[in-house]
Amino acid sequence: MINKRYGASRGDLILWACGLILIFLLYRSGFFTAESWQDFNRRFYQNFIKDQRYMMLVDGLRSTIFMTGYATLIGVAVGLILSVIRVAHAGGANIPLLNALANCYITALRGTPVMVQLLIWNFTIFASARDLNTEYIAILAFGLNSGAYIAEIFRGGIESIDRGQMEAARSLGLNYGSSMRLVILPQAIRNVIPMLFNEFIALLKETSVAGYIGIDDLTRAGQNIQALTLEHSQPLVMVAIIYLVIVLFLTHLVRRLEKFLSRSRRG
Amino acid sequence: MKKFILIVSALFLIFSCMALASDSGRKIKNIRDLKTEKLAAQRGTVGQFIAEELLGENKKKLLTTFEKYVDAIAALRQGKVRAVVMDEMPAKRFLKDVEGLMIMKEAMSEENYAIGFKKGNKELIEQVNKALSEMKADGTLNKIFEKYYNSDVSEISPDDIDFNLNASGGKLVVGTEAGFAPYELKVGNSFIGIDVEMCAVIAKKLNKILVIENMNFDALPMAVSTGKVDMICAGITVTPERLENMDFSENYVIGAKQVAVILAEDFAND
Repeated sequence: MINKRYGASRGDLILWACGLILIFLLYRSGFFTAESWQDFNRRFYQNFIKDQRYMMLVDGLRSTIFMTGYATLIGVAVGLILSVIRVAHAGGANIPLLNALANCYITALRGTPVMVQLLIWNFTIFASARDLNTEYIAILAFGLNSGAYIAEIFRGGIESIDRGQMEAARSLGLNYGSSMRLVILPQAIRNVIPMLFNEFIALLKETSVAGYIGIDDLTRAGQNIQALTLEHSQPLVMVAIIYLVIVLFLTHLVRRLEKFLSRSRRG
Repeated sequence: MKKFILIVSALFLIFSCMALASDSGRKIKNIRDLKTEKLAAQRGTVGQFIAEELLGENKKKLLTTFEKYVDAIAALRQGKVRAVVMDEMPAKRFLKDVEGLMIMKEAMSEENYAIGFKKGNKELIEQVNKALSEMKADGTLNKIFEKYYNSDVSEISPDDIDFNLNASGGKLVVGTEAGFAPYELKVGNSFIGIDVEMCAVIAKKLNKILVIENMNFDALPMAVSTGKVDMICAGITVTPERLENMDFSENYVIGAKQVAVILAEDFAND
């Protein structure tokens, strides 16, 4: 939608009015007074500075990024295998059993909430794994889950490569596996790298349910601070801001990457 | 895009007006008045069971359960519920730090706390019971209680607690929910609280390393019955339902009151 007119439209006016009313309401509730500022500072000190409580958030962030990173690696590995199975089957390879398994896997893991999967991994499948760090169970759960999504991303990437590429490779004497490995996949992976980053970003936010199995991730760290200071809003808002900053930074990277990839393709 | 922003801001305005216009409702005089009010409790706690009993068939409509006490108290302060049913000691801590709350004088029930085990784990139960009675006899347990009753939790450092890291007898994994001061609380990377210090002494007597696993309260019974943790110690009350799924040690707290926390402004003074 491109608005070529200059000056304020009716929508703009309503927007401004909403903003002014909001500011008025905040003013009425004592948001801009010196006391409330002091109160904000005092609570900020309580929540984040005192006894180095910000370290709880830092540790939580470390845990979140650790889980997300390794889960994405597992996801890429699993997704690559699954997508190749499915594409090979569609391309005429005689692997009905493998294809059915891959289909089942993708359907089951995409069709159930990641939180339910996490609970099942921790309390049913690894029920008696006492000495295993819970973070590894979470990495496995998140990784296998994102594997199902990444499989679909890869499949889209492989199918986006022109059919002629495969035919050319085969006519040069490469067998199916080699042409897949040497010709199709490198191009497909380059095409899907931005989408993989998006999956990483989505996973980063999904790991916020890890607190349910007792991992002190970023979200849980905020909740731990809440329990310490009995303050409800500030720790959560801070956690939200940290997530947002990371996501914005990663989104920026993805944009740069997309630009770079499209430039290198043209050149 | 602009339309979208418009709709969102209009909705925001409507909701904020609704929030400002919420009515205060009728005053609360005693526990019986709560029978028809919206109540909150932490999920899986005795507070939830008591609230369910009090509300009877209205519980579906009137009871909200939360993952954490902080959330329940926030709902209370925002007027989303009229009372929170919880243990007296944590309630007192809320009263100290949060303005405008009060505890209903009459207790809703009195409970005993015990340590929970996987059903049939007789060996460990015997060892822990022996340790507990020793601690009761030589006053160690009382000393721990006094330490927490007489000082604010913010003054207590986890560095003073001996988690017995050099023990040779393996690990004692204890499940807890560290949002239940003064019984357990997460401070930095470690834990403090009555239960934690008690478990530390027990671990010492058993010559084991104390490992605390922090999870949600409603996940604790599951964790102990699957063997993820050796025992659970989180101010847990012995109830008939819980006895069906796990075994308990002897009580270490007797007569812990369950109380209703309400907004001071909701209380009928006369």
